[in-house]
Amino acid sequence: MKNALKPVVVALACTAAAAGAPFAAQAQDKVIRVGVLMPISGPGSYFGVMGKEGIELALERVAKTDLNGHRLQVQFEDSACSPLQATNTVKRILEQFRPHIVIGEECSDASLAIAPILEQAKVVQLNAGSVTMKLTESGYKYVFRIFPNAEQQSLPLAKVAYEKLGARTAVILHEKTNAGNDNADGFEKPFVKLGGKVLAKIDFGRDVNDFTAIATRIASLGKVDVLPTFALEGQQVRLSQALAQARVVKGGGGNAVQMGSIWLPWGYDQKAGPASIGYVRIVQFDPTEKRNIVQDFIKAFKAKYGADKTPTHINAHAYDTILLVAEAVRRGAKDSESIREQFSKLKNFEVTTGRITFDRKGQNSDLSVVHFVETQKDFSWKGMSWR
Amino acid sequence: MPDLLALVVQQSINGIYLGCLYVMVALGLTLIYGVLNQINFAHADFVTVGAFTAFFTATRFATKVLGLPDTGGYLLSLVAALGAGALLGLAVNAAVFAPLRRRGTDELRPLIATIGVSVLIENGQLALFGPIPYQFDSPLARETLRVGRIFVSAQSLLVMAVSVAAIAALYAFMRFTFIGKALRAVAQDRETAGLMGINPNLVIALTIVIASALAGMAGALLGPVVVLTPFTGATLIVKAFAIVIIGGFGNMEGTIMAGLLVGVIEAFTVQYLGSGLIDLVVFAMLLTMLVVRPTGLIAERKEENV
Repeated sequence: MKNALKPVVVALACTAAAAGAPFAAQAQDKVIRVGVLMPISGPGSYFGVMGKEGIELALERVAKTDLNGHRLQVQFEDSACSPLQATNTVKRILEQFRPHIVIGEECSDASLAIAPILEQAKVVQLNAGSVTMKLTESGYKYVFRIFPNAEQQSLPLAKVAYEKLGARTAVILHEKTNAGNDNADGFEKPFVKLGGKVLAKIDFGRDVNDFTAIATRIASLGKVDVLPTFALEGQQVRLSQALAQARVVKGGGGNAVQMGSIWLPWGYDQKAGPASIGYVRIVQFDPTEKRNIVQDFIKAFKAKYGADKTPTHINAHAYDTILLVAEAVRRGAKDSESIREQFSKLKNFEVTTGRITFDRKGQNSDLSVVHFVETQKDFSWKGMSWR
Repeated sequence: MPDLLALVVQQSINGIYLGCLYVMVALGLTLIYGVLNQINFAHADFVTVGAFTAFFTATRFATKVLGLPDTGGYLLSLVAALGAGALLGLAVNAAVFAPLRRRGTDELRPLIATIGVSVLIENGQLALFGPIPYQFDSPLARETLRVGRIFVSAQSLLVMAVSVAAIAALYAFMRFTFIGKALRAVAQDRETAGLMGINPNLVIALTIVIASALAGMAGALLGPVVVLTPFTGATLIVKAFAIVIIGGFGNMEGTIMAGLLVGVIEAFTVQYLGSGLIDLVVFAMLLTMLVVRPTGLIAERKEENV
């Protein structure tokens, strides 16, 4: 019996030693532990894969600089764009990894699910991909977001639609999520207030694949000037193609202008083809921008991931989160509380997606990050000087 | 054509086209259930495999290696997807389903095995192809035929034509060939069919191969229409199950009718109620069917199915 138990005891001892090892190492170094919750599996996993690329590239760059003697230790976790999985994952890493800051999630529903848990644990949540207003409007002290929220995205869209494009009628298309609903409401209210009319708000689940029936319905609604659209890239490509086929949008010979926001990464226009011509949208990361930080990022990205790859806004936002954490540490942050303090004081900090100044709710208030582009016949972007 | 009539005709075409896509996915499911009494949760992943096979055949092999024109490449990709589906079905049956049948386990284990196969295929494809949606453009999707105010893409016409041809071929195979009759005999009574000199294992393997081949070809038809990721199938499987249940589990004619009905109902739900209510309407219909007519649209004796 004793002999039989011996391997088990040895195995348990080894496991205990291995489990203790990271903490021993942590005790010796000045480490800032960064938990990253991204969807690595499931239908939203392209967010996580791109996010990981951006973070890993930023870590390489930051490692070459002085962080007041600190180093960043990052642990990636798969939260699958799912509130349930994100909740379980964040509880686990709080217990086992004990992060000073958590970056994530990408999807609004999952981000909202982890916010109260991190707030209770007094751990900073840095978000770079969620749109929902609720994230920074719920009074959380430890939530910071560099991504423009629904209002910041939709208000300029509504103004541009009414004032610059002369639109008086709109059909709003959006996915049935917190993010989609908030974006749709964020467009509708100011557009109607300005004097515009919303003919229909059409929502759909992420499992909808064929948009021909939706395009047919829109074609039957009469004269539509603009179609603000809030959905992930894959669905938007098919939606634009169906709208072109039904001759609703300019790309199909119709009159309506499809409008969108940061949901779409670089590359959508090529994928949608002629259907994308005339699409007007807000971008936050524009690879054609001449700022040094943008061009340096693109150069490093291509060197690491391949010359044929152009970073998307998802890559860029993730990259920026690490730059922000590093800056906070450079300015003296050494734990979650001091990271929060440094973020609160941060003003006009330049990143690849623009500049960051957090307001008292933790939302980036600098709208220099929002600018408009229009898709041309060769699928390139024409920058518009609308603000 | 008056506005309302044009709208009704257009949404009917949209619905029939969508229904044909659903039928192509659901037929294999019902075929397997009819013969094996087994629900195959991995079926939709066979569809995804077919879509990826078609994508790489059309965009890499046919056009770049064989030098075929785009349309020729896409048509070849339909055949390649059919073959890939058949091979995958053969392999999965040999590696997973046949050993479980030989051991004579309960009904639960094969069911769980299909879930395992599904997760394996999805994550295998995720590792191979990555999570970023692929843009699979069929040259036929760019061609739109217009008659007055009615429009239909060449891709939609192809989907409808291939669906009708596949259904007709399958029907003829089941009714008029010896193997088809053997397949129906196994569906009715596996043991008695064995006593009549039919090899049930061979027939079951053939059923899985046919169902998987259909799924593969459905993938090739769906690829240029859907958002192609390793999880594309997962977005279809629930709807496919609903169609199979509404049609009557294991009943081919019922599945065809239910697929078309669901497609048309979806199109008119989008027009008059809102696209956000599609699932509500379809699944309310499913529950009603389960309560009022649990045998499905076409109530037949079990042995008449397939």
